[in-house]
Amino acid sequence: MQLPSTLLENAVAQFSKLPGIGKKTALRLVLHLLKQDVNEVKFFGETISKMRSEIKFCNRCHNISDGDICSTCSNSMRNQNLICVVENIRDVIAIENTQQFNGTYHVLGGIISPLDGIGPDQLNIETLIQRIQKEETQEIIFALNPNIQGDTTIYYIQKKIAPFHCKVTTIARGIAFGGELEYADEMTLARSLTNRLPVQQYVQ
Amino acid sequence: MLTLQSIILTQFRNYVTKQFSFTEKIVGIYGSNGTGKTNLLDAIYYLSFTKSYFARTDAQNVHHGLSGLRIEGHYEIMNEEADLICILRENNKKEFNINGEAYKKFSEHIGNYPCVMIAPDDVALISGNSEERRKFIDTILSQIDTKYLRTLIDYTKLLQQRNSFLKQATEQGFCDDTLLNILSEQLSEKGDFIFNERKKFIQHFIPLTIQYYQTISGNQDHITVHYESQLQQSEMKQLLAQSKHKDLQVQRTNVGIHKDDLLFQLNNAVFKNEASQGQRKSLLFALKMAEWRTLKKNKGFAPILLLDDVFEKLDEKRMFNLLHWVCKEDDAQVFITDTHQKRLADTLQTIGVKHQLIHLEDK
Ligand SMILES: Nc1ncnc2c1ncn2[C@@H]1O[C@H](COP(=O)(O)OP(=O)(O)OP(=O)(O)O)[C@@H](O)[C@H]1O
Ligand SMILES: [Mg+2]
Ligand SMILES: [Zn+2]
Repeated sequence: MQLPSTLLENAVAQFSKLPGIGKKTALRLVLHLLKQDVNEVKFFGETISKMRSEIKFCNRCHNISDGDICSTCSNSMRNQNLICVVENIRDVIAIENTQQFNGTYHVLGGIISPLDGIGPDQLNIETLIQRIQKEETQEIIFALNPNIQGDTTIYYIQKKIAPFHCKVTTIARGIAFGGELEYADEMTLARSLTNRLPVQQYVQ
Repeated sequence: MLTLQSIILTQFRNYVTKQFSFTEKIVGIYGSNGTGKTNLLDAIYYLSFTKSYFARTDAQNVHHGLSGLRIEGHYEIMNEEADLICILRENNKKEFNINGEAYKKFSEHIGNYPCVMIAPDDVALISGNSEERRKFIDTILSQIDTKYLRTLIDYTKLLQQRNSFLKQATEQGFCDDTLLNILSEQLSEKGDFIFNERKKFIQHFIPLTIQYYQTISGNQDHITVHYESQLQQSEMKQLLAQSKHKDLQVQRTNVGIHKDDLLFQLNNAVFKNEASQGQRKSLLFALKMAEWRTLKKNKGFAPILLLDDVFEKLDEKRMFNLLHWVCKEDDAQVFITDTHQKRLADTLQTIGVKHQLIHLEDK
């Protein structure tokens, strides 16, 4: 694409790095910003760079946070003895939207998949084990996508926390096989959180 | 009853756009070498399996110099009409629609429109390596039982996971036994299921194959078929435990149903070393016809039969036995290709079935 200004070209190049944004859309967004007030665009840019540089991850649960400890972990109204284990932050947002869960989270940052080079060490599993031991957590609920790698991850963690007296459950699989948690509608997700099941014990 | 009534090919192999209508249950297709006979049969196969019988990648199926392809088939199935449309978009995304609705998973489609192909290179099923024979069994079982197909997909994924794990463990010089045990348990659960299904299936399949062999060959050759599997000795979990050391050494899973095989024998000798060309072809046809019969029994209607170049393979008597039997005694839709118009027409005439002849023109 031939553009009349290098500045414009740079901005378009930056926007088109975003997922799902092609060159044409990027140009449309940039031209839109060009029509806005200078200060407004300045604020837009600052908001984004501030978001990136100042955002933190909770030391306890690895969720996004404004401080060292996130608002869920520091909320005394929530059941701090209950941990919902999820793959990523999008899952936390999906579950929070159901307004059906009153415990805390633990964000693994992925699931075990040697094929993709992801072993337990690449994930926040060790911190979960320590957390359960230290806090004497009563119950953990796995809310991972129902697929093979999800199962591998559940069995692995289950085995590691076997010495501690923590109840282990998984969300009911009302969600389509292999379906993404993120895309499950809120009703289904809410129901599966209430009807959780004990994990099959076939892995000893 | 399953009948393909018409098919429209767009940018599939040598076809840019072409429509065929099938008016009789027996369809003879003739034309010189390279006119697209095999490609037409493969398009029909494609609609049943969401992929080609021959090509490993879809890129090979797209007409050279163009991008994207489309195959549309109009069927009658159990007295209802159905439209199957497969579209490969320019960006190589594939869609598969039934009556205007897209499948979420292509595996849901497998087995609903069953068909059996017999093609020239299929003798590999007898003389090739064990992978061919596993693929053969899996293709049948996957069409009969969706749980089998799902378990097989899971097994394959878990095997890849376990092999990757073994590789990384060796490279890093550290083996996380907890994780290896879990992967082994998961793999065993799937492996035991597949083994049991294969074993049950083969018990019925072997006598059927032998019976067809004798029908086609018209003689009493002593044929035996054995299902070979490491799981015949012990459960997969134990096999994996015994093999752990070796697995880590060679960074690969050495035991499991991915090592299964069928062993064919002729007069107590290994079939592929002993049998003549004609005997091999007879066994091949027997296996395929047993496949066709098994599917028919399970589905309650006859699968479409695709016979590519069969005249080149069997002598006249054997050919006649086979065709007579499929065309007359069963209500299957049959597609047969040949390079010789006269040979094809005469044979169908002699058998005395209503049929349609389609001529593919030279380029
Ligand atoms: N992707 C493609 N694009 C264009 N043409 C193709 C493509 N793939 C195959 N062909 C052409 O299709 C022809 C082969 O067609 P096919 O194998 O169906 O012939 P056939 O009628 O079965 O011949 P035979 O009698 O030799 O078996 C070849 O001539 C080849 O050039
Ligand atoms: Mg051919
Ligand atoms: Zn937190």
